[in-house]
Amino acid sequence: MGLDCLFNPKSVALIGAAHTEEKLGGVILRNLLRFRGRVYPVNPKYRDLMGLKAYPSVGDLPEPVDLAIIMRPASEVPGIVSDLRNRARCAIIESSGFAEIGEVGLQAEVKRIGEETGVRILGPNCMGIYNPYKRLDTFFLPYERLKRPWKGNVAVVSQSGAIMSCLLGALRTSNTGVSTAVGYGNAIDIDEAEVYEYLADDKKTGVVISYIESVCDGRRFIEKAGVLSEKKSLIVLKAGKGQSGQAAAFSHTGRLAGRYEVFHSILKQFGIREAGDFDDLIDATRALSYQRPSRGNRVCIITNGGGSGVLASDECTAQNLEVTRIPHDRAERLRQIFPHFYGINNPLDLTAQVRDEDYILALDGLKDDYDGFLLIALPNVPGITERLAEMVRAAMVKINKPLVFYIPSGGVARRLIAGLERIRIPVYPSPERAVRGLRVLLDNPTVKQSNSY
Amino acid sequence: MTIQGADNILKLKDFIGRNRGRGAFLEHEVKGLLKELGLSVPDGIFIGKGVQPSAFGPQFSALSYPLVAKVSSSRITSKSDVNGVKTGIRDEGELRDAVSGLMEIEHAEGVLVEEMAPYGLEVIVGGVIDEQFGPIVMFGLGGVFVELFKDVAFGLAPLNVDGALWLIRQIKGYRLLEGYRARQPVDIDALINIIVTVSGLMATGLIGEIDLNPVALYARGAVVLDAKMTVAVHKVV
Repeated sequence: MGLDCLFNPKSVALIGAAHTEEKLGGVILRNLLRFRGRVYPVNPKYRDLMGLKAYPSVGDLPEPVDLAIIMRPASEVPGIVSDLRNRARCAIIESSGFAEIGEVGLQAEVKRIGEETGVRILGPNCMGIYNPYKRLDTFFLPYERLKRPWKGNVAVVSQSGAIMSCLLGALRTSNTGVSTAVGYGNAIDIDEAEVYEYLADDKKTGVVISYIESVCDGRRFIEKAGVLSEKKSLIVLKAGKGQSGQAAAFSHTGRLAGRYEVFHSILKQFGIREAGDFDDLIDATRALSYQRPSRGNRVCIITNGGGSGVLASDECTAQNLEVTRIPHDRAERLRQIFPHFYGINNPLDLTAQVRDEDYILALDGLKDDYDGFLLIALPNVPGITERLAEMVRAAMVKINKPLVFYIPSGGVARRLIAGLERIRIPVYPSPERAVRGLRVLLDNPTVKQSNSY
Repeated sequence: MTIQGADNILKLKDFIGRNRGRGAFLEHEVKGLLKELGLSVPDGIFIGKGVQPSAFGPQFSALSYPLVAKVSSSRITSKSDVNGVKTGIRDEGELRDAVSGLMEIEHAEGVLVEEMAPYGLEVIVGGVIDEQFGPIVMFGLGGVFVELFKDVAFGLAPLNVDGALWLIRQIKGYRLLEGYRARQPVDIDALINIIVTVSGLMATGLIGEIDLNPVALYARGAVVLDAKMTVAVHKVV
């Protein structure tokens, strides 16, 4: 694979390695000590750094490396990249001080040197790579300050390093593991489209989330995002929604063609999923990371509180999901096994007198009549216990359809939620968020338009 | 690409070639091009500045009243802002008055006299070159819907028939096209043809901006009531 030197390097050099974590070059070196591969700190002032032998220059390294990480002032970067010819296959330029502060000429020079030397470049002004499977971590953020997510199947692609750190923090909090994370910054060489191309074939990745501020080549972006969407779940979060069209445009069309409106429309045209906001992105990511999306839009809501069921049902309507009636014969059967005061409708109301096993009886009875299930367990009643998680696990084998929970806090909630998430059932803290989580799992990305591509 | 599409591109290149060095065109020129490409425009006559309407006497008799007269200028972006449209002209006397009045407007290069189109559902079909995506097309409902609610959708050009239908269905007011309440459904195929044609023109990269605004949709057919166009400053590949 073309970008293996970046995502799966065997050897890494750090240009700008430092002896202390008070410097960013020291933080990166500390994080690289965990790497399952060879690490070469480069710094002419030291003979060893954090227990590793240090090298005065790239030319002194014992072997050409797969990946060079550059953490030196912007003005030195052109010279460093030039020295990497035949010494490194790719480079992450983490330094800032390029086009983002108006240094367009310096950035163009680095780009040109990269092309001349044949060294593939990620960045500049970026965080680089986190790959928990290889324990590769090029971020200049200490572990104490940013707890990384566990191993998992979500690839995080972010133009911004700061947003990347927020995404990783939120994914960890929501029990969602990552396969890799890449911050590509100013993207003078490797851009989001090329990363998508790599991830489409990455076996560890099942879901890709991508934070985008702008794309250089919209058509290439759409093409690669389309290919990726056919193989994996891709969710895009776009920042900069307020930018309007050109006020001075000659045509009405030009005045209406706001950058975001165009971006949004074209994502839809090609069936690429877009998250409405940050929370929506994290909620959707967890659902897609835990469960396999499937077809259909008939939802069954099983609840132990009538009001919560109605709120969920309302959100289903808003999300174009159908809360269809329980078929007559099924309803009859459920009436025979449940107490007379249970509400045998959809939502199915198990009332405050619910017992754990009622959810399973309901699921067993209705599993063939619906495409997805939303279970609501208000944990403040004695009948809800943490045993419910184990029971759902057994039932899921037979159901094999998307299933999510809404559980508010209180009672046994914490342990019940932990038990459910361990068996890959996403649990949400509000009925509406639970419905939107289920929506993602039932949302077959619209069929790609048969365009002239 | 369809044979029709390839043929349209030749006609566009020919049009731009004939007008080399010009950035924007007058309404009757754009409409002439659209007519060549098979789209419907109202029957009309362009009177250049300094030419007397009486010189067109026999041709006017080919048009049926009521007529509409509109100021033509590559420097006027909104005709209504300069009071540049006179509608409901019923006879030759009114026509003469309207034309001479419109010729007085600053920057006027002439007046376009057309048959008044019957009432139809008004939509906008346009195209621009987007900074990130290159040539794109836009579709929306006209009038207050586009002004107030910005109920428009965009698509990457070119679009085929399926793509054009997708674009039409993106707007919130789509049901109006299907015949909401007592209205008759409009001719969706005619609208699709317009969108496909405009998207094909945009995809050449030769056009900078184009507005077909409004396009009147009828139970049968669709007529481009106003049109403007500029050529691209740089050719987008």
